[in-house]
Amino acid sequence: MKKYHLVRRADAKLSRTLIFYAVGILVSLTIGAIILSVLGINPFDYYGKMFTIGLVGNRYGYKSIEGLLKIFVPLLITSLALSLSFKMRFWNIGGEGEFLIGAITASIIAFNSSGMPNFVTVLLMCLAAMISSGIIGIAIAALKVRFNTNETLMTLMINYIMLYVIRYIGETKADWNFFLREDSERPKFGTFPDSAVMAGIPMGQFKLLWSVIIALLLTVIVYVYLKYTKQGYEISVVGDSSATAKYAGMSVGKIVLRTMFISSAMIGLAAALTVSASGTISDTVTNNVGWTGIIVAWLSKLSVPAVFVTSILISILQYGCQAAATQYPAIDSNYADLLQGLILFSVLVADFAANFKIVKKEEAKNA
Amino acid sequence: MLEVITLFLFNIIVYNIPLLYGTTGEIMIEKSGSLNLGVEGTMAIGAVAGYLVGIKADSLLVAVLVSFIASGLVGLLFSFLTVTLQANQNVTGLTITTFGVAFYYFIGNALANSEGGWPRLNDTKLAAQSQAFAIPGLSKIPFIGEALFSHGILVYLGVIIAVLMWLYFNKTVPGLKLRAIGENPAAADSLGVNVTFYKYAHIIAGSGIMGIGGLYMGLNMGGTFEGSNCWINGYGWISIALVIFANWSPAKALLGTLVFGFFNTLRVQNAALAYAFPNALGWLTKIPSHFFSALPFIITLIVLIASSLSSKKKSGEPQAIGRNYYREDR
Repeated sequence: MKKYHLVRRADAKLSRTLIFYAVGILVSLTIGAIILSVLGINPFDYYGKMFTIGLVGNRYGYKSIEGLLKIFVPLLITSLALSLSFKMRFWNIGGEGEFLIGAITASIIAFNSSGMPNFVTVLLMCLAAMISSGIIGIAIAALKVRFNTNETLMTLMINYIMLYVIRYIGETKADWNFFLREDSERPKFGTFPDSAVMAGIPMGQFKLLWSVIIALLLTVIVYVYLKYTKQGYEISVVGDSSATAKYAGMSVGKIVLRTMFISSAMIGLAAALTVSASGTISDTVTNNVGWTGIIVAWLSKLSVPAVFVTSILISILQYGCQAAATQYPAIDSNYADLLQGLILFSVLVADFAANFKIVKKEEAKNA
Repeated sequence: MLEVITLFLFNIIVYNIPLLYGTTGEIMIEKSGSLNLGVEGTMAIGAVAGYLVGIKADSLLVAVLVSFIASGLVGLLFSFLTVTLQANQNVTGLTITTFGVAFYYFIGNALANSEGGWPRLNDTKLAAQSQAFAIPGLSKIPFIGEALFSHGILVYLGVIIAVLMWLYFNKTVPGLKLRAIGENPAAADSLGVNVTFYKYAHIIAGSGIMGIGGLYMGLNMGGTFEGSNCWINGYGWISIALVIFANWSPAKALLGTLVFGFFNTLRVQNAALAYAFPNALGWLTKIPSHFFSALPFIITLIVLIASSLSSKKKSGEPQAIGRNYYREDR
């Protein structure tokens, strides 16, 4: 007979969770440090470079901040969007595909916008991207609600179908293809006219793009939406138990459709902001936010403030790795992915340790 | 002219056997009620570990064993996190993919930049052992003999695994118990089946099988490492799709590998076919290769939707898939 027994802790203390998480992250950074030392690199030196993202002793430090924000904005919005659907226990892992749909629609407008006012173009790009991504979200949600089709696998397929769509656009020279540069023999994505490029508020040399402000506003809106509105409450009830929601008189199907539309539309918005900020599109435009966003949402336990903080940390990790690569060419961006994986594994263990405890069998019986 | 068709059939098998390994491995895992989205990463780790150790030991047997064990350890991690620690399966699987592919590139780049460089496959015993050989007699069958019966040993191993797995699921008691867990773990538990043990064992075995598929891919690509292109390159994701197409049956996975492999090969060889049969197949060159690449995913999406629409057809999908089993929650 087994002597020990797992029991779910009755009380969930935030401080305990935070301590366990901190230990988990420390353990994964230590494993990362061991890997670095094996390769003959001083881990303290490397981590120093990574976490300061090349700001220290750099005359062009503002460029580092701009680069960091370019990674941060799409990651933050996508993670928020995914948290919305995960809260409802709807496994939307199609962030990549929904992002690509939004990016393609926004680019269609952008490439045909020369001469239009900047504000109008960017607004149109955002709206078009939100609607097109949102429609895909609704379609998947409708199939799930009506026929109980597996949404995890459906969204997974959409990711890859869209990846080949954008590769097709990017690699096909043809008369209809206004996405490509005309002056290049080889197929190559063109750059947007000025009318479609995201503007910003200049602050000295640094330019604060509107996309950053929109992302921050959106964070507040999602927080309020989930915490203080009826619709936000409905999402969490459906997530806890759709049967409860049904008996409480909620229309579960409607809630799922609405939330999936919002979730996918937000990812479309993230895509429009991203292509507009970079002034072009490519088949790597997503920068894997659809996947990373899932990790961020899960690390944050679907809480909006935590998503905000985790997005900053993961962006620093990714951008820091790129920045440090200039001095350590042997270590490329894969190290960031490796660390991300290690952090999630150890946080999953930490999460368990914070929520369960091991007791002896007799004690469990008495309890 | 006939050579073109023989070559086409031959290529369907040579380039798509990793799909068979990935699919049968994933079927084994899903039959235990777990959805592991980490196929791509599991295959990548098995490939790189098996190849590097195998080339050091210069033996195919060692390479196969190491890739099985390395990927099996990834499966152990997945089962520890999802079965014992009750972590979410989707998130754990996706992280295994991110981690595994990054591990592949990280190790590969570190070795390629080191003094010795990336170890080459040329002129090793490992290369000789994994070489294709013609099965006497069978390979002499006109037209299809050479296409079907002159392959490396790992091709036949993949087919044997699929057949044995089908027998295991349908003709043995442990196979029956496994399927019971996938359908309803609480009921199986109450009948005295050790759910935790069964889940661990089959997730580890399934992951190990995927690893051999990864190794096959590495050997098949001549063992050259590229900093930009992973050996696995999407085969893991197609395998997840193929599980659905095969309706969770290892026997149908064999057939599905040929169907998906057909489109995969069409993508590469459409020009050769159009050249050999300009009148009948000339139109092939007009179809963009991206369409063939996307086709497995499009077909799977259609199969997914169609099978959920029809209530009559019996689906092989385990009912408890994707949900963790925690006894106390019963």
